[in-house]
Amino acid sequence: MDLATGLLHTAVLAGGVPALAALGEVLAERVGVINLGVEGLMALGALSAVVAVVATSNPYLGLLAALGVGLALGLVFAFVTVQIRANQVLCGLALTLLGTGLAAALGKPYSGTPVPALFGPVPLPYLSRIPVLGPAFFAQNILVYVIYLVLPVGLHYLLFRTRHGLHLRAVGENPAAADAAGIPVQRLRFCYVAVGAALAAVAGAYLTLCFVPSWSEGVVGGRGWIAVALVIFAGYRPINAVAGALLFGTTTALGFLGQARNWPVAAPVLSMLPYLATLLLLIVPVAASPAMRRRMAAPAALGLAYFRDER
Amino acid sequence: MTYRLQRFPTPLATSAFAARTLAVVLALLTAGAALALTGSSPLSLAREVVTDTFGSAFALEDLALLVSPLILTGLSVSVALRIGAWNIGAEGQFNAGSLAAAGIGLFVPGPPFVILSLMLAAGIGGGVLWMAAPALARAYAGVSEIITTLLLNFVAGLLVYWLATGPWLAPGGRAIGTTARIVVDIPELWDEVHWGLPAAILLCVTLSALLRFTRWGYEIRVCGSNPQAARYAGMPVRRHLITVMLLSGGIAGVAGMVEVAGTVHHLQGGISNNFGYLGIMVAVLARRSTLGVLASALFMAVLLNSGIILSTRGVDVSVVLAVTGLVLLYTAIGDEIAHYRIVRGAALSARAAEAAPKEYPPNELAE
Repeated sequence: MDLATGLLHTAVLAGGVPALAALGEVLAERVGVINLGVEGLMALGALSAVVAVVATSNPYLGLLAALGVGLALGLVFAFVTVQIRANQVLCGLALTLLGTGLAAALGKPYSGTPVPALFGPVPLPYLSRIPVLGPAFFAQNILVYVIYLVLPVGLHYLLFRTRHGLHLRAVGENPAAADAAGIPVQRLRFCYVAVGAALAAVAGAYLTLCFVPSWSEGVVGGRGWIAVALVIFAGYRPINAVAGALLFGTTTALGFLGQARNWPVAAPVLSMLPYLATLLLLIVPVAASPAMRRRMAAPAALGLAYFRDER
Repeated sequence: MTYRLQRFPTPLATSAFAARTLAVVLALLTAGAALALTGSSPLSLAREVVTDTFGSAFALEDLALLVSPLILTGLSVSVALRIGAWNIGAEGQFNAGSLAAAGIGLFVPGPPFVILSLMLAAGIGGGVLWMAAPALARAYAGVSEIITTLLLNFVAGLLVYWLATGPWLAPGGRAIGTTARIVVDIPELWDEVHWGLPAAILLCVTLSALLRFTRWGYEIRVCGSNPQAARYAGMPVRRHLITVMLLSGGIAGVAGMVEVAGTVHHLQGGISNNFGYLGIMVAVLARRSTLGVLASALFMAVLLNSGIILSTRGVDVSVVLAVTGLVLLYTAIGDEIAHYRIVRGAALSARAAEAAPKEYPPNELAE
């Protein structure tokens, strides 16, 4: 593999982690609930996937385990933020602390254990033989195709081309109006917050089953927060979110490349690249153009609980 | 006569306090139940924790050393909350402050008092610098400070790790990965406990008084609870936002400086020890009271110390982080439930409901 192909290959692989989590977060934030627990959900998802695969040697069961854990925690988070209407920022931070702490404590026996079965590459016929781009984009594992093609296109269609998607967005923009129009505000919020959390946990599973094939404390390393940042950068649009994740993946790959080629930059400094790049992505576009700020604005009711009697 | 549950825009102080206490107790009970499920005996562990935390002068000193950074990071988060900003980056500002202070302490020669003052200035400067980009981005472009401050935590952590294990590594210190010992230190007050603790308490009391009794403090509180009203009243909302956020960063930087100059005496990776994240917890538990930071910092120090003690009994240290999350979750639930009161009388008619005061969307913790 030549330099450019290797770089792109790693970028696509690395970007898949925040891409999946960001897609879930797009759903939750589109219905007006900000979930800052992504980091904790990813940690628990990553661990449960490793535990399941070590026990069964079947990566699909690992994925399923993470999905189950994420869905269960997502239902709890949805109950607390949507039904009880507790402060979303606090609950999200709580979920992050709880998830990271719990995963670190429970994961001790699995620390460093290699995952016995991973998602292997599935080269697509013809496409994978395109020079440079082929091996980078079309000779990846099966989840990569789902994350970069099936999910974003599907979610984009759902959000912007269906009546259900219109309802969903209405709930995040103006829940009172949506409620008056007969849209079940609380039910939609509940469902999509739970689904978003499940996707975050699956992102953790992707991390340990496809990218770093073992569990260790701190393996998530802020990728959950990067996903939350990518959602803002993407203007709450699924396709943009995946594109942003690919950019993030590229900076990660650059860091790896630098270490592998002994660039005269220290490894910890190279590891800063993804965080600094995400920060720039977050600040520069909105700071540069007010029009961009309007177009990429958050759903109007983001972070606010809905009380019917206050209508 | 019928009774019904009604939600009020602001909770009663008593029910808010009760909800918070209940949240803490429930979280500890949940953690105890979880420990019991894994086969340890929570009661005997609790007894050991209590005796090991309060049983000896030596143990109390350890506790006091944990309290001062928690007061400062808690104060940092709490001050930012007053103006409606979430400083999730106290961890990074702590690291930046400790790094800047260590830089002065390691490489600038001079009489101890001068060096200590310079280290303090550098600590403040480091924290302020680390908060500058998030503060300006929030004030001028509306970029959420939650994410920007948090992302910078990772950068600061890596920077400290790199300097401590790379360019600033002590000769012959490769195995432990720290810088040389910083000769200048904060004078001791009582054995291990240094003047950092009274200084932190003093800073907390001063800020509390400033926020409560001065015009500046009043404007900050108004800007936090209702920025629109503040703007109409002619208050410089943006300027206040920037200064308070920078102040918040500076306080977290001081925490880092105190840790380096008073407790650890060199720079090493992981020096921030989650103090920044626990500071969020301290500030949230203290609710609207800046003085309350003192009490909640003490509580968090006990919790943190328990974790250290439990880790010698085969319980993982990360459990503390999980319990902190649990306390935070229950507190958030309790806060919301405290808004409800049981009132006598029939359900409100539609017109009365319309006349009922509305809740303002901005952060109620700011008030």
